[in-house]
Amino acid sequence: MLRKRKYLLTVLSLVMLAIFLFPIYWMIITALKPQATIFAYPPQFFPRQIDWSIWRTVLERTNVALYLKNSSIVGFGTTFLTLILAAPAAYGVAQLPIKGKGAIILVSLSSLMFPVVMLATPLFVIFSQLSLTDSYIGLIFANTAISLPFALVVLRPFFLSLPRELSEAASIDGCSAWGAFIRIMLPLAVPGLVTAGVFTFLFGWNDLVFAITLTNNDQFRPITAGLWTFIGRNNTDWNGVMAFSTLAMLPPLLVFLIAQRYVVSGLTAGSVK
Amino acid sequence: MKQSASKPQSLAKPKRRSWHKLSKTLTNYSFVLPAAIFLLFFIAYPVFFNIRISFQDLKAINLLSGDAPWVGLANYRKVLANPVFLQAARNTLVFTSGSIVFQLLFGLGLALFYNIEFPGNKIMRGLYLIAWTIPIIVVTSIFRWLLDGQAGVVNWLLLSLGLISEKISWLSNIDLALPALIFINVWLGIPFNMALLLAGLQGIPKELYEAASIDGASRVSKLRFITLPMLRPALIAVFLLGLIYTFKVFDLVWATTQGGPFNATHLVSTVAFRAIFSQFLFGEGAAMLNLLFIVLFGISLLYLWNLQNEEQN
Repeated sequence: MLRKRKYLLTVLSLVMLAIFLFPIYWMIITALKPQATIFAYPPQFFPRQIDWSIWRTVLERTNVALYLKNSSIVGFGTTFLTLILAAPAAYGVAQLPIKGKGAIILVSLSSLMFPVVMLATPLFVIFSQLSLTDSYIGLIFANTAISLPFALVVLRPFFLSLPRELSEAASIDGCSAWGAFIRIMLPLAVPGLVTAGVFTFLFGWNDLVFAITLTNNDQFRPITAGLWTFIGRNNTDWNGVMAFSTLAMLPPLLVFLIAQRYVVSGLTAGSVK
Repeated sequence: MKQSASKPQSLAKPKRRSWHKLSKTLTNYSFVLPAAIFLLFFIAYPVFFNIRISFQDLKAINLLSGDAPWVGLANYRKVLANPVFLQAARNTLVFTSGSIVFQLLFGLGLALFYNIEFPGNKIMRGLYLIAWTIPIIVVTSIFRWLLDGQAGVVNWLLLSLGLISEKISWLSNIDLALPALIFINVWLGIPFNMALLLAGLQGIPKELYEAASIDGASRVSKLRFITLPMLRPALIAVFLLGLIYTFKVFDLVWATTQGGPFNATHLVSTVAFRAIFSQFLFGEGAAMLNLLFIVLFGISLLYLWNLQNEEQN
């Protein structure tokens, strides 16, 4: 009896999840339907016929492949730069006797709170002066400005939880401070690094504000800005917009599915602790 | 060299130790310095930049050279007298409170539900977070399609249920566009609220419920006297974080309606973006962003203060 009730909850949960994720299903299904059946009334919830032709159109007539490449470079570049800056800093703030720790933590926490748009103008001006607009480096720097504070906030507790005696013991054994950090501390902080890395990648991939303010040239446009332009030109071509959107969504979705448990722990680590 | 060699050994030793100490201190700082410089250059300087130009008459011509005339509070005066900005401020309040109430309600409901054990629970509750992982521009494309005035599924559903009598163009209707955006934002926010509240629920000791069961407490009174009071810290944190995240929403609205129709969905962030990047009113745009920033900063202080209080307890 009790067992039966539990399975009832499973069914209920499935129904709720299906309703919640319906928008995503609808996007994919729209991109797989023949153009003519998209506007069918009542809507076809299960397509009677699969039509891949829009995918070829989108891949051939737009720069979507280039955008995907750009987003990958920006996403991974941001992740790399963020981790390389954040990991030693988080370790230093958590374990080393340093003045100004409080200031770094305060700046990190408060910059989590302020709007991305606030960075967009100053960075646009600075990057125009340095000719960093329309470049990967510019986008990577801009996205790192958003993700570095977050990575610091996520990583600090990880390093706080590692015993200080470890690095002390290593330095007695003749390891330099950096040697001890790289050989002993970093391997122990891998879960934290993955969490921060996954979030950073998602920030970088999903960013729209910097993508549309810092790039004009298709050669450097990330997929979000590419989709933005595509929508501007093909506003009611739902077939195409949904195919394009599906492509833009797949990489972050994949990252999420692979690193799901880190995402959950990062969400809680970054806020309630 | 010669001097130090001529000195007695007892003096040389502490000197060497202090040199050793200095190099150790420098090594320590070398861990945080790169990140600190980055934060200074890309966070602190932009904030300062926005404050500076909000007191200047900055136009497209003198943007890059930076020598614009100082105008005191003129930008702030203009902004506060601008009816579109005032409407955007009102919209921001409506958008934020509407989003938060429904996100919290749905988030709490789902968290309570997924706190019960049943087969498949863990996998299914994780999948809600998909909504949170995909690019906002993708989310807005999907919802513009769902809410489409002609072939949108939402219209079909509401018509079939008899809740509306004719098709509605949600996003181009002055009265309905903002509620429609709140609807989208609630969908986006539910996973976050649910995940944090669920973490809070799982932190409540099981013994409390067992003790209450022995005392014959009903399910409702357990919820009322154990769950909700114990969940208070998590609820406050989620509420304040939601406030911060919703106040600064930009891309969701910009990508869906760009503030239209007739400014009905402009938020402070989108009006500021338009002022800067479409109208080239850099000073006024910066003034708007600074006003938003002051409010956000206030809420952030409240959040940090709350966090510290919780840690002390």
